Amino acid sequence: MAWHSPDGWLTQGLAPHVSTITITFIITLALPIFVHWYLYRSRAATVTPKFLVLGPSGAGKTALITTLERGAPTATHTSLTPLTIAAPLPATHTPSSARYRSTNDAALRLVPILFTDTPGHGKLRHLALGLITPAPPTPPPTGLIFVVDAAALSSEADNAGLRDAAEYLHDVLLALQRAYERAKSSVAREIPLVVVAGKLDLFTALPAGVVRSLLEAEIGRVRETKARGIVGVGKGGDGLGGEEVVEEGALGGRAEGKFEFGVMEEWGIKVSVVGGNVRGEGPGVTGLWDWVAGQI
Amino acid sequence: MLDSFEVLTTSGVVLWSRTYVPVGASAINALIQDIFIEERGTVGDAARPTYKRDGYTLKWRTAKDLGLIFVAVYQSLLSISWIDKLLDNVRALFTELYRDQLKVPRTTRVECPFDPYFDRQIKELEQEANNATTRSFTDSSAAEITPPGSEANELSAEEHPAVSGLRKAAKKPMYQDSTSTDVTPIATPDASRPNSPAHLLKAKAGPGGRVSRRSRKAAAVVTSSPAAASSGDESSANRRAAPKGGKKKMRKWDAEGLADEDDGVNLDYSAPAAEGERPVESLEGVDQGSWGTRTATGEFTLKDIGDEMDAILQSANAKDAKAADGSSGLVGSSLGAIGGLFRNVVGGKKLTREDLNKSLKGMEEHLLKKNVAREAAVRLCDSVEQDLIGMKTGSFTSVEATIRGAMERALRQILTPTSPLDLLREIQAVQGKRPYVISIVGVNGVGKSTNLSKICYFLLQNKYRVLIAAGDTFRSGAVEQLRVHTRNLRELTARQNAGEVDLYERGYGKDAATIARDAVTYAAQQGFDVVLIDTAGRRHNDQRLMSSLEKFAKMAQPDKILMVGEALVGSDAVQQARNFDAAFGAGRRLDGFIVSKCDTVGDMVGTLVSMVHATGIPVLFLGTGQHYSDLRTLRVESVVELLMRT
Repeated sequence: MAWHSPDGWLTQGLAPHVSTITITFIITLALPIFVHWYLYRSRAATVTPKFLVLGPSGAGKTALITTLERGAPTATHTSLTPLTIAAPLPATHTPSSARYRSTNDAALRLVPILFTDTPGHGKLRHLALGLITPAPPTPPPTGLIFVVDAAALSSEADNAGLRDAAEYLHDVLLALQRAYERAKSSVAREIPLVVVAGKLDLFTALPAGVVRSLLEAEIGRVRETKARGIVGVGKGGDGLGGEEVVEEGALGGRAEGKFEFGVMEEWGIKVSVVGGNVRGEGPGVTGLWDWVAGQI
Repeated sequence: MLDSFEVLTTSGVVLWSRTYVPVGASAINALIQDIFIEERGTVGDAARPTYKRDGYTLKWRTAKDLGLIFVAVYQSLLSISWIDKLLDNVRALFTELYRDQLKVPRTTRVECPFDPYFDRQIKELEQEANNATTRSFTDSSAAEITPPGSEANELSAEEHPAVSGLRKAAKKPMYQDSTSTDVTPIATPDASRPNSPAHLLKAKAGPGGRVSRRSRKAAAVVTSSPAAASSGDESSANRRAAPKGGKKKMRKWDAEGLADEDDGVNLDYSAPAAEGERPVESLEGVDQGSWGTRTATGEFTLKDIGDEMDAILQSANAKDAKAADGSSGLVGSSLGAIGGLFRNVVGGKKLTREDLNKSLKGMEEHLLKKNVAREAAVRLCDSVEQDLIGMKTGSFTSVEATIRGAMERALRQILTPTSPLDLLREIQAVQGKRPYVISIVGVNGVGKSTNLSKICYFLLQNKYRVLIAAGDTFRSGAVEQLRVHTRNLRELTARQNAGEVDLYERGYGKDAATIARDAVTYAAQQGFDVVLIDTAGRRHNDQRLMSSLEKFAKMAQPDKILMVGEALVGSDAVQQARNFDAAFGAGRRLDGFIVSKCDTVGDMVGTLVSMVHATGIPVLFLGTGQHYSDLRTLRVESVVELLMRT
């Protein structure tokens, strides 16, 4: 039967039959729904930007995130558990992803950002290190905020504060580096890290630039002794014995020479240093907000 | 008097606080670090834990499900009996009032206008304490009749004005009790203290000071509790006398009480509760039962809060009671059991002591099989139990899995050192200024010399100049053994072009401490970087041998004292670690453990846990074989995994 005969499917399809009209009607209604459904399925759910706040005990992490949330710090004590808060980006800052939008764009309103505070006590750092590289279903954090007490670093005598901070930062950077190396190249992505030199309101606090160079030098020393130190125990057979399965390389690829945050960019870790304070006179947390806005 | 009261979350945010005297954050931080993180130094039983630091006593309660900690801080000199009650009440109130707000995720904001509740609580508890005091005084007067002493008489006149009105009310019920006179003073132990010293000290300047001291003494004696630190100089004769004084006081007040009462009461209550003094005063004369209404006539807001508060407390108590006898009743129990089984599979079960007990027993057995000392295993299980009671299991997690997770966390927390020790860094820090001194102690035959030579080898690899001091002047062959090690090491280093090693020996029979000191001086002269001091092995429960360690620590001034312990040793590990830790005198402790022979025990590495658990001192190195290079640092993950492996 040729297509032009009166009973052909094309003729029928264009003829004013009830069935034709019904089918057309259904398709007309269903198609947009399907298209909508398809588009929204295939699009990744919008990820709320998530920042992890790390740092040695007493650096002011909890005070920082309460400041980010409320605008003023609360009294705090040593943390035992991680704490996540949602804080909106203040209206004075524009996310870098939205920098071409009009200031009146509704999409700009109230981007909630999650900040996760972690305990800084030596025994509880594994909680934080676990959050840096979470198990696959959970997305890794958008960025890391490493808080140090800029006033504690300046104590020249034995530099316990500096050493502690540098060791912790070294471990964090190493964890990030290893995660980057392990990840498939398609998944590996950059993780920005900001070192917040906190408590700048104090008289003895060092400026951000000095904090940066001090930390770099100290991390260099940590890296060196770690490389020369005794390896961790591994599991040989059914007991302890043998050596730890050492994952490739020291921090920054090699153990000698000067360490600079710049070399970490090879592993997708962009380190910047900003100063800030939550109490008293000083730059406040504006610098941190600037940085946060630049990452989302 | 209470110095400070804080409500904080486990994540460190202070939700509500009341400060009477600034204490500073350090006391509470120390509490959190010592008790909650490092789990040591608790005084008192588990239900009413106490922590003392810098002259302050801290008491606390936790609300696990909401992650809250309630801390009360007061001067250790005082002993405030109602603190425990206050903490319990505040916990019940706070959790009930703000439960919904506290459960909101992703925020630290909690609107808690808790002040009126707290004030009210304090006032009620103080009042109760007041009553209790009076009762005890009245009681003693009713009980024993003794001739009044002259001095006590005149003191008593001005001592406790508020009491005189009260006495009548309190006396009657106490008459029935008076048959058991020896019990009642103890039953109201230090209740007498808070009201008299605290108020009076604050309020009265002139004669009040004298009186309050006296009254505090009297009160402390009445308590007859050894905890009364301030009554340390009290003789037994005084002890006898003071209660009599108390009784006599009562008598005096009856006579000339009224005149005193007026000026006294004002002063008495001005400090703690300024607004509430009038109604309270009128109350005290009246029967105890009519408190509420009387107060209500004075202040409506207070009345409202009080009622609300009572209701909350009552409902909380009722809930507790229901939970306590929830198991009774055949139908209820069987239904509960089925529900429990179901929940056990699906999760979301609220854990009780009974649920945990069985599984914890299993966990304890498991730990014992891994060669963890019984003491450590029991304490670990207890802390896990404390952690889990009142928690809900996660979805699709059984009780066993939850306990496993909690135990893993506990082990990890114990084994992780607070600040990791980097030996090389420390040596570097003093290099060129003075030699870095490491000494090694331990029981006989655990491998002190062997581990010393392993450490020496490691240091030589790092191109340090090392001096070995032969401090074992007792066992024959000990010096020769070290000499052989030195020769071997020298040979090895010469081949590898590494550091330099020498032996400092003075033969046998000399005093080890002197040799150690001389070795350090010698090393300083010769420009050695590190001195490693070997010591004679000694049994940890031999007082005579252990006592020489204190002198050794004083003379040699080691930077690090490391104790070698065998992985093979069982429950003795706890005692070994403790005794060696305590052997160096006040102010000097061990710095770390070396656990030797780890390669011989397979997965039964419980000794590590026992030793760390007993002392809180980290494990620095593990000996894993016979070669110089068989020295390892601890990797917490591997050890925890081995321990949890079934």
